[in-house]
Amino acid sequence: MATVKNWQLKKDMKYPYDESRPNKQIAYVFDTNKCIACQTCTVACKTTWTSGKGEETMFFNNVETKPYGGYPLKWDLNTLKMMGEQSWDKATGAYKGKTIFDDTKGENVNGWRPAERDYAFPNMGEDECSANVNKGAFFSGIHDTWMFYLARICNHCTYPGCLAACPRKAIYKRPEDGIVLIDESRCRGYKECVKACPYKKTFFNMVTRTSEKCIGCYPLIEQGEQPRCVQTCIGKIRMQGFLSKPGEAKADNPIDQIVHIKKIALPLYPQYGTEPNVYYIPPIHVPTDFLHQMFGPGVDKAVEMYKNLKNDPDLLAAFLLFGNTPKTIHHYKREGDFTVGYNEAGEVLTKVPMTEPVYVRPYDDKDHGTFRHNTP
Amino acid sequence: MKKTIFIAAISALSVSLTSAQPVAIIIKSEKVTGIPLREVNNATWNTATAFTIPVFPQNITTPMLTAPSVKNLKVKSINDGTTVAFLLEWTDSTKDIIVDADKFCDQVAIQLPMHPDTLPIFMMGNKKGRVHIIHWKGIWQNDIENGFRDVKDAYPNYWADIYPMAEKQGDGTNGKFAKDISALDYSKGKGKNFMPASYAGNPMSIFDRKEPSEECMAEGFGTLTTQTNQNATAWGVWENNTWKVIFTRPLVSSDKDDAPLTAPTKIAFAIWNGHFDNISGKKHYTQWIDFITQK
Repeated sequence: MATVKNWQLKKDMKYPYDESRPNKQIAYVFDTNKCIACQTCTVACKTTWTSGKGEETMFFNNVETKPYGGYPLKWDLNTLKMMGEQSWDKATGAYKGKTIFDDTKGENVNGWRPAERDYAFPNMGEDECSANVNKGAFFSGIHDTWMFYLARICNHCTYPGCLAACPRKAIYKRPEDGIVLIDESRCRGYKECVKACPYKKTFFNMVTRTSEKCIGCYPLIEQGEQPRCVQTCIGKIRMQGFLSKPGEAKADNPIDQIVHIKKIALPLYPQYGTEPNVYYIPPIHVPTDFLHQMFGPGVDKAVEMYKNLKNDPDLLAAFLLFGNTPKTIHHYKREGDFTVGYNEAGEVLTKVPMTEPVYVRPYDDKDHGTFRHNTP
Repeated sequence: MKKTIFIAAISALSVSLTSAQPVAIIIKSEKVTGIPLREVNNATWNTATAFTIPVFPQNITTPMLTAPSVKNLKVKSINDGTTVAFLLEWTDSTKDIIVDADKFCDQVAIQLPMHPDTLPIFMMGNKKGRVHIIHWKGIWQNDIENGFRDVKDAYPNYWADIYPMAEKQGDGTNGKFAKDISALDYSKGKGKNFMPASYAGNPMSIFDRKEPSEECMAEGFGTLTTQTNQNATAWGVWENNTWKVIFTRPLVSSDKDDAPLTAPTKIAFAIWNGHFDNISGKKHYTQWIDFITQK
């Protein structure tokens, strides 16, 4: 085992291979506050990539309802249980517990393999609240009973568990964009990756007898476009871009601005140790104890920042670019009353007003002989 | 530094294994007339001496086998001057012949060095020390005896609305789109785009397999590669809590990737018990054993 730096844990940790960060790292920001679990992303992904035989229960993208949902069943709880106590140093913010690369017992990763039935309930817990709503309950800032939607894809981790576990080195991380892929010509279906991935985003295909995973829509990425799940998101909760290496953040890169500089988007279960690259804006109405476990110690500041987003024009300008272009934004700039997204060559991809114009129409529409409401 | 430690570990293990086998075994392939390719109980096998070889849990590289479940392997070998055959027997109280998300099958393999004079490491060989491996799997045996295990065989009550990408569409009773199309038919047309391993020519994704065996070569851990020419055969029978598997291959092969067998050489074996999730490096192995073909 080598020793590598994990910036999300603020410490060094064990990993089977030396630290080797790609030239560019694909990264996503998902705003959980805007997701309505319409599953358009899920269907877009499913029809694009997993319509084959043996892929019937395979979801490279899924949206589950927390706290009770999870696909495959208990994907997160089982790993959390195996890892023991997971605490963070309050002074330094460093992680003090074990990662999945500790206590590996003759393997490279401390993992668990789902059973067939665990893939049989993709909508388990859907739309269920944490508890029954008491009679007379009212909202006081944080909901006593709560739920939120968690959209999930492969995290294209910096230290992938799947890659670490494959005895054939049939899984690789592309240096040009950091996308993690299974070489479908070399995989022999050992399922070590299925056991190792703590997010359970590698899947065994019982017909081809090999494993498959999210490919980050690399054919689109290679053409400067965002992946299917991002392009089709009707709630505009997603943005895909490239995250700079730690310490090299650029303020005009919207992903860097959101993740590295403002730290308002946080990794999912960073304590696993894989340095995942899908970053989530935590839901602002959910009790933070639950969120600390899920997104680490940065939750409180992130929630506070989100509530005051209107006072941070640079951050707001980055957020307003979500879902407004199919292309991948590399740079952005606030220009007057607009935020402008640029591609890698510096060409304009999209121009979005910082404030939407407000039109107030008369309640009594005499032209059409009808009455209507105004919805802000 | 890592390499030094690795070699030291192999050497230490070799010493301990040598000391665990006080009597050197020499497997002799006895000359017979006619090879029973698929008859594990054929009387011809009675003419061959049975060698009982201890097997050990693989604990040299990750993933390791931490809980062994097989102790010994019984080996017999015969040849008719053209074909060499091996009969391998080991105790296994469960017949595991399917694979799925959480199911593993029984397997066995034989390994021969390409150059016995410069003997490679006994486990998968080493760089420039190539080995020839012939592998049998329970799932492949099942494919041939019972047909390819498709989704409907595994889950008779499963429901998929349609397979819209299949080239061969419905027969008029199923509507426009194919519903219960077989994996083989799906893989023949544009549907193959949605069977990535099949599209990539992966030898794991063969839907009309002819032999339950695969010939491979390797030069170290993780390098197992399927040979272009497949001229070995295998057949397995599970009875009385025992697997009996026959391997055959030409004594003199025209395939340059096949190991020589006419001069004295070495042979090694590996066993996987599917019931205990044995897969990849989680296997039972033997050291190199002397092997002679009687002429």
